[in-house]
Amino acid sequence: MWRRTPSFILDRTSTSPPMAADTTRAPIQNPDSISAYYQTRAAHHGVITSEWLSQAQAAVGGVSDSGDEHPVSSLTELGNEKSFNVIEEFNSWRKQPDLAEAVAAIRALAAVIRASEATTMMELEIELTKASDTLKSWDTTSISLTAGCDLFIRYVTRTSALEYEDFNSAKSRLLERAEKFGEISCKARRIIAMLSQDFIFDGCTILVHGLSRVVLEILKTAAQNNKLFRVLCTEGRPDGTGVLLSSELSKLDIPVKLLLDSAVAYSMDEVDMVFVGADGVVESGGIINMMGTYQIALVAHSMNKPVYVAAESYKFARLYPLDQKDMAPALRPIEFGLKIPTKVEVERSARDYTPPQYLTLLFTDLGVLSPSVVSDELIQLYL
Amino acid sequence: MPDVQSMVAEFVNKLRKRKIEGSQATAKCTVELLRSVISHQRVPHANQAAALIDAVKAVGQQLVAANPVELAVGNVVRRVLHIIREEDLSLTTAAMAGLDLLDASDDDDIDNCKGIGYPAMSAAVVAAAARSTLRPPSLQTLLEGTPESATVPYTSSSGADSESKTADKSSLTRKLKHDVIEGVNQLIHEISGCHEQIAEQAIEHIHQNEVILTLGSSRTVLEFLCAAKEKKRSFRVFVAEGAPRYQGHLLAKELVARGLQTTVITDSAVFAMISRVNMVIIGAHAVMANGGVIGPVGVNMAALAAKKHAVPFVVLAGSHKLCPLYPHNPEVLLNELRSPSELLDFGEFSDCLDFGAGSGSLQVVNPTFDYVPPNLVSLFITDTGGHNPSYMYRLIADYYSADDLVM
Repeated sequence: MWRRTPSFILDRTSTSPPMAADTTRAPIQNPDSISAYYQTRAAHHGVITSEWLSQAQAAVGGVSDSGDEHPVSSLTELGNEKSFNVIEEFNSWRKQPDLAEAVAAIRALAAVIRASEATTMMELEIELTKASDTLKSWDTTSISLTAGCDLFIRYVTRTSALEYEDFNSAKSRLLERAEKFGEISCKARRIIAMLSQDFIFDGCTILVHGLSRVVLEILKTAAQNNKLFRVLCTEGRPDGTGVLLSSELSKLDIPVKLLLDSAVAYSMDEVDMVFVGADGVVESGGIINMMGTYQIALVAHSMNKPVYVAAESYKFARLYPLDQKDMAPALRPIEFGLKIPTKVEVERSARDYTPPQYLTLLFTDLGVLSPSVVSDELIQLYL
Repeated sequence: MPDVQSMVAEFVNKLRKRKIEGSQATAKCTVELLRSVISHQRVPHANQAAALIDAVKAVGQQLVAANPVELAVGNVVRRVLHIIREEDLSLTTAAMAGLDLLDASDDDDIDNCKGIGYPAMSAAVVAAAARSTLRPPSLQTLLEGTPESATVPYTSSSGADSESKTADKSSLTRKLKHDVIEGVNQLIHEISGCHEQIAEQAIEHIHQNEVILTLGSSRTVLEFLCAAKEKKRSFRVFVAEGAPRYQGHLLAKELVARGLQTTVITDSAVFAMISRVNMVIIGAHAVMANGGVIGPVGVNMAALAAKKHAVPFVVLAGSHKLCPLYPHNPEVLLNELRSPSELLDFGEFSDCLDFGAGSGSLQVVNPTFDYVPPNLVSLFITDTGGHNPSYMYRLIADYYSADDLVM
């Protein structure tokens, strides 16, 4: 009764879960389960709490259950085997800490292509679409997963339009591009690092929130180019990203200072620019990122400090959140160190949405973009 | 060749000594110089486009180094490079279209690029790939990677067979140069005609009984206002004088000569008068890729005043002023400090300015330009029409190639 948000997704999930009548689809994540995407990120960061552990085990048990449900309810002959394999494949790729989420998705889809017995492009496309839908519905909270799948499917449908008379050569080309995507992802990080070098000047102070591998690459390159700068890291509860980032940066001899998340406004006047990564870039040009990014962007904007976002282009997603709650909820367990009475609710969302007016520039492998360019790129791709 | 070198050296000298005033004049001279460079450049049979590009880049680097603050020089050099790439691309796609026809028919020694023996790859694929290398990278081309087929148009055929091939090559060479020079001529025409194009749009923006504020003197603004006057709009103009050069006085004289009611105010009075103004119109020195504007000193003040009072701030800029670079620290890096004698009389202040005597500690700073961030600008009017500041990246993607950004 306290909720006054106009967003309808909450109403949908709270009032009509039985609306998911067709059992052929994978079960919708109910609001109380843990977001698999953030689970994986936490695993990368090595953050393990006892609560997380128990919930992770429960979640894994839940996944295999849902995995078993799949083949029972699936009506197509496309393999129960196939859909289960896709998710397994995806998870195995996702576990690697250095691999981007979208790369894992595309590798999984490449595995589908390899295992496919289709003889025409249409059939292959249909199989891929099914596999990608499975992946997407398994973890609705991961934006780069959705975006990566969509990008690959679009690429497949467009490749088939080019004149490849031979199906096998087309298939092998698709496989090759999918394999190459991992390299594209690494190259993208390097391009972004190169583009952002000019924006870091000697003697500047950079505020960083969250542990983005792209931002880390940017700072590493700047240090290698012998630029003098110092970094303020927010603590990044509950992931503890601040401590991890500061240990990485101190290895590179960059002066680092740790801040409490609440100390950002206090320190904002000595900051010259804010660098954040993004879990996803939405159509409006805003970003979805770790909880706390919106807060920092608001403070930076009010003090006229530029906020720079470093994101690869495959994170552009066809979402348009109208407010903070207008996304699929992504929850993660939060440790407070003390026992919380059961009547007390905890805000467990793992991410927030930063609207485009608080962002200055986006550094992507497509170049330095202002937030309004994002929708243009997406339109070119999807329309 | 030697006389081209001397032309280049002479122009570099002029740029370094700031002898050429105004970005339009600079842009025109630069393009004309590049045209002579291109026409005098002897190109090899293979890879003509690359040779032209290298030649133009080499000259361009010299020119930009001579006057890094005059961004129009770099802009037109990049435009010329883009023209070369485009013409080369259209020639090769035309050639491949010709090849397609040839493959369909019998392969005779028709005098049409038969000798370029491409492997059995469909023409459409290669064309699409080559097209994608010319456009800036986008999500669509992300997975396509760098198509090796794009290099195929560049490398000439290996197996040389007959004399008809050499005849092909020379005709191709001449065609490319000819097309490039045509493109460059069109660019010159565009640069010369930018004032008229912009002035044509004046009637849509200036309405009856309006009060316009402008700062300093810009020929574009002058033509703009006079065009509206000719279409029988009656309006008033406030001109901020634009210290220390006081070019606003010249503009005011011109406006009065053309029959417009003009008021001259000091720069410091801008904030006081802004509430009585309907629109601020400014000519830009350069427009950066994020939509920020480099203008004569004082425009940032006018922009802030306009923002505070919700007055539309309109910037006029010809397309040769659009720069594909992002401004990092523009107040320092893209600015030029002029002689302090424009501000202070040496005679009166000689004891303060004398550092040798130990008592002097007076410094005089006389910057030429000001940077206006994009959020303060309401509208850009270029020769292609009116645009939002957040749209500038689009025009830049049309006019320039991504490879030329760093010369």
